[in-house]
Amino acid sequence: MALIVVISYVLDKIVFYTFNKISDKVMTGQAIGKLNHFLSKKDSVDFMVFGNSRANRHIDVRVLNSNSFNMGMDGVGIAYNSALIGTLKNTHKQIVVVHIDTKNFFDKDYDGSDITSLKTKYKRNASITKALEESGQLSVFQKFYRSINYNGNTIGILKNVVRPSYNFRTYYGYDPITINESQTFMRDQVLLRENSTEDCENDYKINAVALKYLETIAAFAHRTPNKTFIFITSPLYHDSCDIDNIKLASLMDSLDLTYWDYTNLYKDTKNKSYWKDATHMTKNGAEAFSNYLNVQFKANHSF
Amino acid sequence: MYYLNELKQSHDVKFSLKFKILLFNSVEYLVFFPVVFIIYWLLKDRYKRQNMLLLISSYIFYGWWDYRFLSLIIFSSFLDYFVGLKIEVAQGKKNKQRWLMVSLISNLGLLGIFKYYNFFASSFANSMSTIGWDVNDLTLNIILPVGISFYTFQTLSYSIDIYRGRINATKNMVAFFTFLSLFPQLVAGPIERASNLIPQIERKRMLNNALIKNGVFQIIIGLFRKVAIADNLGVYVDSVYANYDLHNGSTLLIATLFYAFQIYFDFSGYSDIAIGSAKLLGFNFHRNFNFPYFSRTLTEFWRRWHITLSFWLRDYLYISLGGNRRGIAMTYRNLLLTMLIGGLWHGSSWNFVIWGGIHGLFLSIEKFTFSKFNIKTFNAFGYIYTFVVVLIAWIFFRAPDLTAAFTIFSKIVSFDFGVLFIGNINSFVNAICLLSLGIIIDLKIFRSDIPLENYGVQYNTLKLSVLVSIIIIILCLFYSTTENFIYFQF
Repeated sequence: MALIVVISYVLDKIVFYTFNKISDKVMTGQAIGKLNHFLSKKDSVDFMVFGNSRANRHIDVRVLNSNSFNMGMDGVGIAYNSALIGTLKNTHKQIVVVHIDTKNFFDKDYDGSDITSLKTKYKRNASITKALEESGQLSVFQKFYRSINYNGNTIGILKNVVRPSYNFRTYYGYDPITINESQTFMRDQVLLRENSTEDCENDYKINAVALKYLETIAAFAHRTPNKTFIFITSPLYHDSCDIDNIKLASLMDSLDLTYWDYTNLYKDTKNKSYWKDATHMTKNGAEAFSNYLNVQFKANHSF
Repeated sequence: MYYLNELKQSHDVKFSLKFKILLFNSVEYLVFFPVVFIIYWLLKDRYKRQNMLLLISSYIFYGWWDYRFLSLIIFSSFLDYFVGLKIEVAQGKKNKQRWLMVSLISNLGLLGIFKYYNFFASSFANSMSTIGWDVNDLTLNIILPVGISFYTFQTLSYSIDIYRGRINATKNMVAFFTFLSLFPQLVAGPIERASNLIPQIERKRMLNNALIKNGVFQIIIGLFRKVAIADNLGVYVDSVYANYDLHNGSTLLIATLFYAFQIYFDFSGYSDIAIGSAKLLGFNFHRNFNFPYFSRTLTEFWRRWHITLSFWLRDYLYISLGGNRRGIAMTYRNLLLTMLIGGLWHGSSWNFVIWGGIHGLFLSIEKFTFSKFNIKTFNAFGYIYTFVVVLIAWIFFRAPDLTAAFTIFSKIVSFDFGVLFIGNINSFVNAICLLSLGIIIDLKIFRSDIPLENYGVQYNTLKLSVLVSIIIIILCLFYSTTENFIYFQF
């Protein structure tokens, strides 16, 4: 048994350091490339978007600012974004847009585990390591077996070493969605489901974990006057209840955060060409929304 | 490369136990097992104390999920301990039969209430409503105790074997209680026979180099099968089956193909960890899987898949129904009935009944074909035939309900093929790579003619340690976080 522990420990360190060497050069793909790209650009761009796949696919940052980066990632939440925002230096004036989703704040099952998507930088980036350790989300084995840092991302990293997904020099983080004929059929089926009028829940309670991370971002925003933080919720195809939206808006107000809620922006339009499914807009929708956002930014004199 | 799994997060309740179970792939088990292991072998010269330790730790293991349901196992243990003694001393077949009936009715009664009551109540209400008679909702809010199907079959085999005169009733209460609750096999098998396990419990166990090597190797292979292969395949399967109506035939076919391997690697992985853990405690459990997809007939498949269940069904159901002793028509009836009940054993749903029915039907067709053409097996084409039949049956096993199963089946067989849904490209590619690796490992062990249960001993300590270490690193790089074993729901 002791022999297994020793050999696996040594093997783990070989794998870990090999992947460190390899992955540092990867600048494409969601496995680690986009994160590396972000870390290399974060303190030089003027405009930045954080958020989940909706942020990634809904906000064409170049419409809003030519020196910008969209750091939206699939499947992440406020914990992940809070950790990334914590890496920003207060040396550069920036507009930071944080895309949030109302439902995530009232999801009683949300535990902040999305922060583990940053585990590739555990013990490799001081700010991210601190956030990961404070989250309590790391596997207990991670302190012993460091190759866990690359869990789930190994093939993605190797693939991007051999064949990068795109030219990262021209990439600015925005990934619009285009849909083909079969996806159009799928989209129509999904949107049909969304026409129901669901009742609101009786008790909307802010998730404590989500609130903790929101407060962390708020504290960061207040101590970095160089940066302007705006929280945004992009449109949904159908949202039958607005109690949660009102509660979240009130919370943002109490934290002295600027919050623009566009959940129902296209509620009455029902333009199907805008949508890939009920939560994600197509390139058409994203372009319309980015242009709309641009007008809102320009209309607000402080920006 | 995005998000259909974000679309519908509502996984089937059927496939996600909401309770905390002491899983083999959990950190808790990684602490629990070594603690038991160390204390257990410190008591090596006192096997009765070892048994007491095993009994207490097994109850802790089960109580981790819900201590209240320990009462059910303890009740069954008391009942069958005394019934076993009564059957043995009873004079005459009728008296023995009476005591056997006590065991059958009590155990199957409990299983019936906890597992099947709601199913039959709602089926009754539905069938009444079709003839215009509205029946009030008769279903109850019942939690299905984890492992009840497994330990019920285990305890039934004990009573039946005593009745048949194959074994003697044990007078050692601790040994019998330990037999029924031994933690490596408590919640999902292998379904051990008293004739194999009780004698091992009632004598001193030894731990030798062969047992350690075989046990460690089987545990690590089991973990690899479960957390690397099955759980990664499950990500794609869950996302497609949750939105089956949105997907085309090619996507549903791939998801079903993935599911065939997911359930195999999930359950065989579980069995491997159970058997390996038992080896480290000095026990030899029965083999539960023997590369079932390398079968040329369905009959062969059932000799390789969930072996302890299929042999249980053969010995205690098929043979009890008359087996093949009452003519050809009765043989087919018995075969079909056995598989239908075998299907229902898996869960209280018509999907499982149809799953069993498909297997029963094709087993009967095979039996007919073999006797008609006087052959014993099919040629190499049989591998494809067997896999296709099993694949079709899995659709019914995995689909959330009958409508879904028929929709999926019709989409696949109508060749409604189109662009394949990939979902998250990273997890899809991971799943394919790990599946390929799993199949290569299976092929290597299959061709070696050495059972996985005895595979570890052929390596010297250094080579085994390196192999295990490599698999540990693969687990670190590829483990998926899905928690439950599929067979816990049964």
